[in-house]
Amino acid sequence: MISIQNIEISFNTPRGKFTAVKDINLDIAQGEIVSIIGHSGCGKSTILNAISGMLFPTKGKVLLNNSEVKGPGPDRGIVFQNYSLLPWLTVEENVYQAVDAALAGKPTSEKHELVAKYLRMVNLWEHREKYPKQISGGMKQRTAIARAFAIDPSVLLLDEPFGALDALTKGSLHIELLKMWNLTQQSKTIVMVTHDIEEAIFLSDRIVVMNNGPAATIREIEEVNLPRPRNKKEIVNLEEYKIIRERLLNLLMDKVEIDEKDFYKEKAA
Amino acid sequence: MRRTIALTLSSTRDLLSGNNEMGNVALSRVLNILTGLLFNILGFGVLIGIWYGVSILTDNALPTPVATFAVLWEMIKDPFYDYGPNDKGIGLQLASSIVRVFTGFTLGAVFAIPMGLLIGASSFCKKMFYPIIQVLKPVSPLAWFPIGLVVFESAGIATIFIIFITSLWPTLINTAFGVASIPQDHKNVAKAFGFSTWKYLTKVLLPYSFPHIITGLRLSIGVAWLVIVAGEMLSGGLGIGFFVWDSWNALSLEKVISAILIIGIVGLLLDKGFSWIEKKVTYES
Repeated sequence: MISIQNIEISFNTPRGKFTAVKDINLDIAQGEIVSIIGHSGCGKSTILNAISGMLFPTKGKVLLNNSEVKGPGPDRGIVFQNYSLLPWLTVEENVYQAVDAALAGKPTSEKHELVAKYLRMVNLWEHREKYPKQISGGMKQRTAIARAFAIDPSVLLLDEPFGALDALTKGSLHIELLKMWNLTQQSKTIVMVTHDIEEAIFLSDRIVVMNNGPAATIREIEEVNLPRPRNKKEIVNLEEYKIIRERLLNLLMDKVEIDEKDFYKEKAA
Repeated sequence: MRRTIALTLSSTRDLLSGNNEMGNVALSRVLNILTGLLFNILGFGVLIGIWYGVSILTDNALPTPVATFAVLWEMIKDPFYDYGPNDKGIGLQLASSIVRVFTGFTLGAVFAIPMGLLIGASSFCKKMFYPIIQVLKPVSPLAWFPIGLVVFESAGIATIFIIFITSLWPTLINTAFGVASIPQDHKNVAKAFGFSTWKYLTKVLLPYSFPHIITGLRLSIGVAWLVIVAGEMLSGGLGIGFFVWDSWNALSLEKVISAILIIGIVGLLLDKGFSWIEKKVTYES
């Protein structure tokens, strides 16, 4: 499990110290799917980077299975915002190089089998010879997801993974992600950063709502008690779904409402 | 003449309006190449016209195009004759220059690429070496010639040395730039999945910088070819630069101009060759 203990993350900038997030406390159980949601610049990704070990907290610490995070490791797979595939490698090579690096001890044939297994899972086996420029954004992100799963990490970290995709592709990738999670016995912990409320509700067990930065803190944590497996069409009609959506909208959109009221006032005048 | 061209153009256009679509694509490509060629010929025509004008104005002190092309034809008819140390065919002169250029250029690349990788990858190396590069880069290649003479005690090797030292910089600077501009995304992938140094080098750093390195090499060979003529004018012996100087001393301006044309064409071919490699290694993200 992941335990974030009272972390603060600051950066030294030319204009002095900039605190991105502070007083963050969060425990995430094994197999849980947690979304971090908030406006741009609220430090969502910063928290994710602290879990991945790409960044170090200025104060506090992050524990992963009771040991402190001291850098990136093969126990955490990352899916980046902009796919981050290496353009000079094929789909298969992109996954293979990551597997080869992360699971250096395994024999080569076993690593190739793993790559094949996960590329088949995301339906990219037929496209394995292609280069990133030859495939669509959705396929790129599926490659990135396969790459993160293929190193068999206990934690998956997703940084706005579907942000650049159109609504339809996004929807099918949500299913794809949950399929992968089910195929691995729902044992993998998934932490995802997003700014999409529907996406967060559909996928998550809990949703962490952030305050606006700088020095952002956790505003609230919403439990999503919708039964799994979830059906995209059906859950939107559930009372629980509507309540959560309403609450999240209120937490994130209060500014918009004020603006609208002002607008109507002006019109009436 | 013009009318026949117009006629061919219009008849080709008639062909284009046919139904065969594949044929159309091929035809329009041929048409494009032909019109391109036509403009090229037109450009050279203007140049030759001006040249002719200057020849007439200077009372043939500058040889006319006709006289020059006659000499050029004599030169390329028998390029590999060898009548002793001071009278060799243009082919032999050219071969000697090309060997010298590639020797200096290769030595330069062997030194510049690793050095560029180092400077691009480490800010420490950049701070240490960049000022030296900035001071040495603008120095005229010929200024290095005496140093080459003193150190190597041979005019031939000194020429190679000045090629080496002037063709260093474009490759070095481009390589360093390539390495320094590796996107953070690519570095993050390497970091997140725990790439070893070797894997980072071979799967991220080199593939990313390769097109930049090739661009550097293309610029370097261009500079090297520029410098060889001046270098050989100083060193003497054999080579296209020496040939220009020797022809001037023999008061054969026809030969000088012919040599200029040959130098230009070889330079163009070198550039095209490297452009071709450049296209081959460029990837799209």
